[in-house]
Amino acid sequence: MHQEKGIWVSAEELNRDEAFLQSAQKEFSVENIAETDGQWTANRRDFLKMMGFGLGAATIAASCEIPMKRAIPYVTKPDEIVPGVANYFASSFVQGGDYCAVLVKTREGRPIKIEGNSLSKVTKGGTSARAQAVVLSLYDTRRIKTAAAVNKGELADMNWADLDKKITGQLALGGQIRIISSTNISPTAKKALGEFVAKYPNTRVITYDAVSSAALLAANEQCFGLKALPSYHFDKAEVIVSLGADFLGTWISPVEYARAYAERRKISDPKKATMSRHYQVESHMSLTGSNADHRVLIKPSEMGAAVCALYNEVAALTGAAAIGGPKVNDKAAKALKGAARDLVAAKGKSLVVSGSNNIAEQVIVNKINDLLGNLNATVDFGTLSYQRQGDERDMERLIGEMSAGQVGLAIVWGANPAFDLPNADKFKAAFAKVNTRISFSGTMDETTALCNYSAPTHHLLESWGDAQPKEGHYSLIQPTIAPLFDTRQAELSLLIWAGSPNLNLQDPQPYYQYLKSAWTSDLQSKQNKYSPVAFWEMSLHDGIFEAPVSGRTVSFNSGATLNSGAVSKPASAEVEISFYETVNIGNGQYAHNPWLQEMPDPVHRTVWGNYLSIPVEWDGVNEINGWKGLNDGDNVEVEVNGKKLTCTVVKTFGQPAGTVSIALGQGRESGGCGTGFGVNVNPWLPVSGGLVQYHAAATVSGKTGVDKQFACVQHHHTMGVQAMGKEEGAIINADEKSLGWKGFQGSLTSRSVIFQADLKDLPGLVDQMTEFHKEAKHLNEQTLYPDNTDYFGTGVKWGMYIDLNSCIGCGACQVACVSENNIPVVGKAEVNRHHEMTWLRIDRYFYGDLENPKVVYQPMMCQHCDNAPCENVCPVNATNHSMEGLNQMAYNRCIGTRYCANNCPYKVRRFNWLDYTTADVWPANEERVFWVEGEDKPFYADNLVRMVLNPDVTVRSRGVIEKCSFCIQRIQEGKLTAKRESRAILDNDVRSACQTACPTGAIVFGNLNNPESAVVKARESVGALAYQALEEINVRPGVQYSAKIRNSSDTSAS
Amino acid sequence: MSQPVAPVRHVLIEGNKSYHNITEDLCSPTEKAPSREWIVAFSLAAALTGFYFFCVSWTIWKGIGSWNLNRTVNWGWDITNFVWWIGIGHAGTLISAILLLFRQRWRTGVNRAAEAMTIFAVMCAGQFPLIHMGRLWLAFFIFPFPNTRGPLWVNFNSPLLWDVFAISTYFSVSLLFWYTGLVPDLATVRDRAAGFRRKMYDIFSFGWTGSAKHWQRWESLSLILAGLSTPLVLSVHTIVSFDFATSVIPGWHTTIFPPYFVAGAIFSGFAMVQTLMLITRKVLHLEEYITINHIESMNKVIVMTGTIVGVAYLTELFVAWYSGYIYEQFAFYNRVFGIYWWSYFGMMFCNVVSPQLFWSRKIRRSIWWTFFLSIVVNVGMWFERFVIIATTLARDYLPSSWSYYSPSWVEIGLFIGTIGLFFFLFLIFTRVAPVVAVAEVKSILKVAGDQYIGPNAKHAHAHSHKAAVKTHTED
Repeated sequence: MHQEKGIWVSAEELNRDEAFLQSAQKEFSVENIAETDGQWTANRRDFLKMMGFGLGAATIAASCEIPMKRAIPYVTKPDEIVPGVANYFASSFVQGGDYCAVLVKTREGRPIKIEGNSLSKVTKGGTSARAQAVVLSLYDTRRIKTAAAVNKGELADMNWADLDKKITGQLALGGQIRIISSTNISPTAKKALGEFVAKYPNTRVITYDAVSSAALLAANEQCFGLKALPSYHFDKAEVIVSLGADFLGTWISPVEYARAYAERRKISDPKKATMSRHYQVESHMSLTGSNADHRVLIKPSEMGAAVCALYNEVAALTGAAAIGGPKVNDKAAKALKGAARDLVAAKGKSLVVSGSNNIAEQVIVNKINDLLGNLNATVDFGTLSYQRQGDERDMERLIGEMSAGQVGLAIVWGANPAFDLPNADKFKAAFAKVNTRISFSGTMDETTALCNYSAPTHHLLESWGDAQPKEGHYSLIQPTIAPLFDTRQAELSLLIWAGSPNLNLQDPQPYYQYLKSAWTSDLQSKQNKYSPVAFWEMSLHDGIFEAPVSGRTVSFNSGATLNSGAVSKPASAEVEISFYETVNIGNGQYAHNPWLQEMPDPVHRTVWGNYLSIPVEWDGVNEINGWKGLNDGDNVEVEVNGKKLTCTVVKTFGQPAGTVSIALGQGRESGGCGTGFGVNVNPWLPVSGGLVQYHAAATVSGKTGVDKQFACVQHHHTMGVQAMGKEEGAIINADEKSLGWKGFQGSLTSRSVIFQADLKDLPGLVDQMTEFHKEAKHLNEQTLYPDNTDYFGTGVKWGMYIDLNSCIGCGACQVACVSENNIPVVGKAEVNRHHEMTWLRIDRYFYGDLENPKVVYQPMMCQHCDNAPCENVCPVNATNHSMEGLNQMAYNRCIGTRYCANNCPYKVRRFNWLDYTTADVWPANEERVFWVEGEDKPFYADNLVRMVLNPDVTVRSRGVIEKCSFCIQRIQEGKLTAKRESRAILDNDVRSACQTACPTGAIVFGNLNNPESAVVKARESVGALAYQALEEINVRPGVQYSAKIRNSSDTSAS
Repeated sequence: MSQPVAPVRHVLIEGNKSYHNITEDLCSPTEKAPSREWIVAFSLAAALTGFYFFCVSWTIWKGIGSWNLNRTVNWGWDITNFVWWIGIGHAGTLISAILLLFRQRWRTGVNRAAEAMTIFAVMCAGQFPLIHMGRLWLAFFIFPFPNTRGPLWVNFNSPLLWDVFAISTYFSVSLLFWYTGLVPDLATVRDRAAGFRRKMYDIFSFGWTGSAKHWQRWESLSLILAGLSTPLVLSVHTIVSFDFATSVIPGWHTTIFPPYFVAGAIFSGFAMVQTLMLITRKVLHLEEYITINHIESMNKVIVMTGTIVGVAYLTELFVAWYSGYIYEQFAFYNRVFGIYWWSYFGMMFCNVVSPQLFWSRKIRRSIWWTFFLSIVVNVGMWFERFVIIATTLARDYLPSSWSYYSPSWVEIGLFIGTIGLFFFLFLIFTRVAPVVAVAEVKSILKVAGDQYIGPNAKHAHAHSHKAAVKTHTED
């Protein structure tokens, strides 16, 4: 490397420094660059840093167990599944005769939420709590996983082929075959049954309902020659008299009725408001009774007398002959007189319904409707309802046959007679004599435990099927997830056992093909809009198909006799007990659903069990006591028909003196989470003329103990009930007087939480509320702080309007909220400690007459105050306000001081006292969170249960506050949709879970800055009747309520 | 040295003490083996402290759900204890700073112990805002420090954040004040010690030599700290009261809270000083330094602050009635007659009625009455905080949410545990430092020693002067 000339870059090169030349020849310097730069110190520090990090990382990695999450990618991604985007499938919720057209929301292939299907003309988009909760039962760990032989309640797994072989062998023996079922409204299932019966002609299908409407069916057969139910048009009725029918809560088709009923109850313009008038004749306070304008109190045994009294009054006014009959109490007689007058005045536009299971009473009720000209008007046989078809007299006959050993094989399908029959003991004994006993039940219930074979059917959300709740209304059921377990649809099992030629077992989904061809052959011809292929596709898409109906009219059969001698007679018993079905549990069909168990009973607000409602007594001075001095949570011994049970009491306003009541359906002995809660009162039900009666005489002991876990979510039940004060000699506010020593009059009724009035006093209420708004505005203007009312003037401002007038308290919104927002179930013990987590609760207040109070329901959730007291007290800014008027919670930032919850005037903030969701980093306190008895891990720790979680909503860990977010995930989704479509956000883009669940449209959510939005229109239509709860404390809630209006009559007592 | 001494001044040091006697009496407890009483008391306190840490661990491990708070009453014994302890922590600073400004000589007998009490009480108080958090491990979120989350700052609007500053400031200043006072006394102990003890006390007394420059600087620092802590006496409980006063809950949302809380705090602080000092003077034989006169002075403060508190209670009721605001009216109605009526009556009796007994000179100067009433007052002040917190929350705006609260064993354990912790610290303190400020007591000997004033004073002025000089040189 010897250069004479050339380019040099440095003095060293020019001088040909040896060392430099050497280094210049090397492409890569061996010397450490840092070293040459004199950076040895940095290197040492780097070393220390690396070592520090390495040691730290190694320590952390070694000491912490990193949870392993298995995720398996799709090999071939299904076209319709886009991660993060929900799919909705139209389907139907069907359980016996309970029906609701629904949309099933699935995320990544998992059904997680039920929405109403607004295309249905039956339910019109409404849902019930029962329908909302159905997704949770899909992920029930107690489901039977495969076909099995059953021996004394123990399952021994079999494969289906073996089972089929065994059963077809038994079927071929030719003995008598009985299928025990509850109401079946599926036309295709009936077709399958038909094939089975055709193959085995000695088969009979026995249908009964867990809560019977057999008398109504029998009466309709006598009166109209139709053993079916009519459509009741509550929307066309100006006067409604319900004789013990809980038509808003549980009777036949509550979602349908509630919507229709609410249509007549809404006030859209206070200046020309009209409402239907609703009388409810009952003993225990039902959901329907709590909504009535007049509750006519009777003892349960007086129902027959009340029916006769009403008939006689109506007959007197319409010129028909009286029928006599037993006498009802004077107060009720007077009220019924008024009711009859109203009914007759609204001839043809009134409606009388009865929940009685006494044929004579139902016949008389039919005749009343006939006298009132309601037939073919509000009582419409042109569109029959099929939602109740059962007759327990058939069961009685079956028990006889079985005891006589005449039945060779019995199949139980969708029924649980060993639990819900009044004479379950007799059934069990007789059932044991049947040689082959097969159950289709998906869970181990009391009846399945007695069978030899379990052929578990799919869960509803895994099934194909259809439903025809009413004439001309067809509704499809489609699977929204592949079967989780090795179960098989009951219809398919029947078809396989029948060896049906119409079944293509080579097809991956034989029952789907069967259903499709049934629809194409039977229903396709009922329309001419679509081609056969399009017909199926459209029906599946819409979930429903409406066919024209006959428009049949009926007339009252003159042969049907009004037999006032056969109605129930007033009993002389000192204490009478009545039995009723609750909105959430039914007669036990829903007892194993934790969401429904933890949904408070709307009237009593108790959870996890059934409680004996006892009347309250006012001592005339300053105490409201429970009957016999009993208190909430006391145990008593109750004896009915010689059978004793220990019940826990709950003091209930509106429970008439001399009566008590208790719900059916609890005290399940096996099958899941509801086991062991409450008592099974079915054995107490008397049977009269083969029909189950829902009342009896009872003796109630004094206090025998205390239920230490008595779980009730509301402890002060009243908003100023009134009674006669002995000292004052006048009607006083007994409720307020009972608060502390002598009470403080005005302490409750003056609160701006509930506003209510009678329809005739509406102008007065409007004036009062106008004045109140003015005063609140004045008070709220007295502030040192700059007014920020304009802050939300632009863009979107979310708000809600809740119409207390159409809210019936059914609780569908509450379960929908639990489902949508991953709200944990906490169990009975935690509810007892007032640790329930529900974001949305329905406050229930009694007001008016202490003995016969009126009720107002108030859905209460975070009010999203614009001047929120919770926000300014959080030391770490974990809760703050959005530009769109939302009160937001940042769970990750929350340190759990609970200051916000203290400072919330509405007490809607919920703290995660324990690790309810098992979401915490260490499983420290699992023993106190919710466990299903007998399971080896907490409820939420099970991966199967966790499938129900909504992936859009954070699962909160221990120690943080949570509350209603106005369904922020839905808002976000709606905004993204609008953005993607480059348009402004529309009213329908965002609807909260409670709003979509509501069967009566009581909840409206939307953008308050959009004058065209439904929420603004609804609010404005009622004018001054709209109010904010606690308007005068200047927290500026984003939720408005409307005053509760009742349409009571001057002439009726009570 | 000799000043004109008004004969009405009380004797504050009895027993014809010389400077040497004072040193001997006050330093000896740190030098002797502990007495049996001390060992028993310390074992008990240590056991309770252990139980306290057990309950804290239980709370953290199991969650706040191990307490009985509920969706309506989200604060219960936890914050009651917090406010109670903070209140107790008020007497120390008041005695150190405000009484110094008012030239109350009797403060010298009790200020050291009262300041120690303050520090330990604030330490106990400071536990509760931490352990009542749902996620204690994220407690550092409450400090405003630059961070990578935005940065995400704390909410300067929140009274809880103000508490953080108020309490930490108060604690630091009180601690400094207390320690500054201790330095010369620690040096005195050091001078009498040998070996390892001497080395330790040398470190803790910062090499104090007692030079004039040291005394001059020491006095300047004391003065500055006194100036700093005077407003703190008023501010800390004012800010604690803001936790309630700035809220929207009727019964909390009242403007009277700041002065009412401060008066209550001084009230309970003095009661706790009485409880402690009555035991300490007996156990450590300090009757000649903490005299009946000291006790009487403090009882006077108690009767005055107790009466202020009583006026505040009545004012609250009046304002509730006068406001015409039903929620407020109901809140106070409910306090008096509602489900927690017993706690209101307990509060009224203990805080308003019982201190009135101190109008009687005989009771005021009775050890047993004082001791009994000091306990009663502390019980009453605990009731007061419970009334304010639990009663108010249990029945607020929406009747649907009304509920009832009673504590779980964990919450009771935490309260008893902090009492254990408090005594644990205090008992250690009595073993390592002079419980009465040696230097300060010496400074008032000439004006408050019984050989100079009072009925037993030796009027031979020269003699006493000489005796004093003599003892001084011996020392």
